Amino acid sequence: MNHLVNITKKELKELLTPGSIVSIVVVMVLLMSVGTVIGGEVEESSAAADIGVVYDAGAGIDPAASYAYLDTPAEIKLLIQDAYAYLYGTDGGTAASFIHYLDVASGDDDGIIAAMESKGLSYVISVPDAITSNIAGIKTMSGAEQTRIDTYFIFKDEGLFGSASDSVGTSLVGAMNSILSKKIADMAISGDSSYILQPLTWGGDGNHTSVNGTVYSGITPYALSGSMMSQSLMVPIVVMIVILMVGSVVISSMGSEKENKTLETLLTMPIRRTTIISGKLLAAAIVGLVYGVAYMIGMMFYMTGLTVGSTDVNLSDYGLSLGMLDWVILMAILFLAIFSALGICMILGAFTKNYKMAQQMTMPISFLAIIPMFVFMFMSWSALPALGKALMFLIPFSHPMMAMNNLMLGDMSVILGGMAYLLIFDAITIFITVKIYNSDILITGLEQTKFMRKLNKLFNMKKEDHENS
Amino acid sequence: MADALVLKDVKKIYGDREAVKGISFSVREGEIFGLIGPNGAGKTTTLRMICTLLNITEGSISVCGHDVMKESEEVRKIISYLPEDSGAYKDLTGRQYIRFMAAFFADGEKYHQMVEKGIRMSNLGDRIDSKVSTYSKGMMRRLLIARAMMPEPKLAVMDEITSGLDVMNAYEIREIVRDIAKNGVTALISSHNMFEVESLCSRVAMINHGNIVEHGTPADLKRKYDANNLEEVFVRAVKK
Ligand SMILES: Nc1ncnc2c1ncn2[C@@H]1O[C@H](COP(=O)(O)OP(=O)(O)O)[C@@H](O)[C@H]1O
Ligand SMILES: [Mg+2]
Repeated sequence: MNHLVNITKKELKELLTPGSIVSIVVVMVLLMSVGTVIGGEVEESSAAADIGVVYDAGAGIDPAASYAYLDTPAEIKLLIQDAYAYLYGTDGGTAASFIHYLDVASGDDDGIIAAMESKGLSYVISVPDAITSNIAGIKTMSGAEQTRIDTYFIFKDEGLFGSASDSVGTSLVGAMNSILSKKIADMAISGDSSYILQPLTWGGDGNHTSVNGTVYSGITPYALSGSMMSQSLMVPIVVMIVILMVGSVVISSMGSEKENKTLETLLTMPIRRTTIISGKLLAAAIVGLVYGVAYMIGMMFYMTGLTVGSTDVNLSDYGLSLGMLDWVILMAILFLAIFSALGICMILGAFTKNYKMAQQMTMPISFLAIIPMFVFMFMSWSALPALGKALMFLIPFSHPMMAMNNLMLGDMSVILGGMAYLLIFDAITIFITVKIYNSDILITGLEQTKFMRKLNKLFNMKKEDHENS
Repeated sequence: MADALVLKDVKKIYGDREAVKGISFSVREGEIFGLIGPNGAGKTTTLRMICTLLNITEGSISVCGHDVMKESEEVRKIISYLPEDSGAYKDLTGRQYIRFMAAFFADGEKYHQMVEKGIRMSNLGDRIDSKVSTYSKGMMRRLLIARAMMPEPKLAVMDEITSGLDVMNAYEIREIVRDIAKNGVTALISSHNMFEVESLCSRVAMINHGNIVEHGTPADLKRKYDANNLEEVFVRAVKK
């Protein structure tokens, strides 16, 4: 049997235990279901909802009502219904079924809240009776007065997406305002007042945005970056997880070799040291891949759940998609970055003495992976200040995290520079790894090197000085 | 008889501490040779240099004619090293461990024969299919000795084979080693227990503070120092 396969198989046997496989699956299912639940809630909060109205409860809605003079309660009720229908895009009958008139006096706060609670409503608008006389005042321009519509909410802790509703109450009033002002203006000029109320139009196809040099109509940078964010948010997280997984696998593999005192025996097997190193690295890479794919699938569900409510912008319509070559580059960068993690961990692993120390040694790797993750979740490369760019460039794990956006935006200098940097970084780590694994350090530990002894001596001398003085 | 192992003026310096100070001895084919001395004398360091685990600072070591530093891969093919206190991968069963190790030495039919041999030598019965982490010290040592012997090495190097074992287990392990030697394997064992070595080895070298203070057959040494046992020999040789 091939020695590399032999070592890799054994490492995998130790790594992919039923326990670890169960934990991968659990996290994957968790991510998927969290995404679906949040998605459900986002959807719910933008769907038609029950609303309470305090106004003329006794009268009921007159099906034959129309806007004649805008001074009867029936017309005001028609206004509320039309505003609701406009807001949720329903027909009048459906709107009416969501609007509940409460038999409470307007201004009676406690009474209104009590009615809301008994009916299970999340918000209520309260329209004063004076609205009809106020409108009459506006029409004649004698003693014109605005009418304040009060809105009532009940605060419940429903999380970020659950309580998204205060806009709904106020946008209903906003819609009423628009319809009412148009009707009044129509009456005043005895014609269509649309052009008076809105002599300008903007937005929609009137927006023009230049993307990578091409001008597209009907899109804003805000919509584009929102959509890019939701797509590329996933990349830093998955890269971070894979790096952490792979790193801890390698370091703890070395830690357990030392703790179980198996390393010396392994090192006297009739195989090259490089085969041992490669076997361990290969196993870690496979495990990293398994985790990466599992989390990627979970994350994909999580993210699609999140973006259900928001408007979908198809990035490829604006030249912001990855071509075949881009994917190849992305994968190459990911591979190089994972390899650098493996290299660093192999070096750190050589110095571990046991399992516990191995776990502490994953700390530096975790930092190096988590810092760029947070940076690139909230910022893009081009938005970073110069110092930030320098720091991020030096951390090898940043490169796959930002590669997707940079590829989309055609920022090739960072991509190619990053690849060159990773190649050099990897070459150096391989060189150091091979050097260490062919030296005594693996057996004797770090304390016995000349450098450490000198360091210790220096330290002790200082201590003595201290004690003498 | 030819020499299976030759050390010439071997030195090992850790940082600036000289652990082995230029020792020479040789082990003949088919004999059990004992390297004895107190803790910290340099036994483990010497064995690790022989087994290609540590670089030799000065001098040379050859195993069956192969230089340890220059032909370390050749040397690894013909030696077996049993480190002091060593263990096995605790997530594997005894059988899986034997298979994993055998695969480094053979394939095909020879591999299966080697695995069978290893399992037989470990004498673990049906516990061979239990996880290694459940083994007692004695069982673990039997598994490791079987592992070391199944490839039929030209030279077996064993460090403190009975350390940490109770009387019964230690006795059993010594019997196993004696059996092995009867089959013509050359063995170098180290021990700080001089009685153990006397009963097992045809020749010994005594090491103290990194120097060989005496070597020869136990009988010759006892005669030379007019001593009843190797412990007395050692004490007198060191005082000299
Ligand atoms: N890794 C090491 N670094 C520095 N000194 C060591 C190391 N290992 C052993 N020594 C020193 O070398 C000497 C010989 O040790 P060792 O070979 O383990 O002795 P023995 O096996 O005979 O007990 C001791 O003084 C020990 O302290
Ligand atoms: Mg020792």
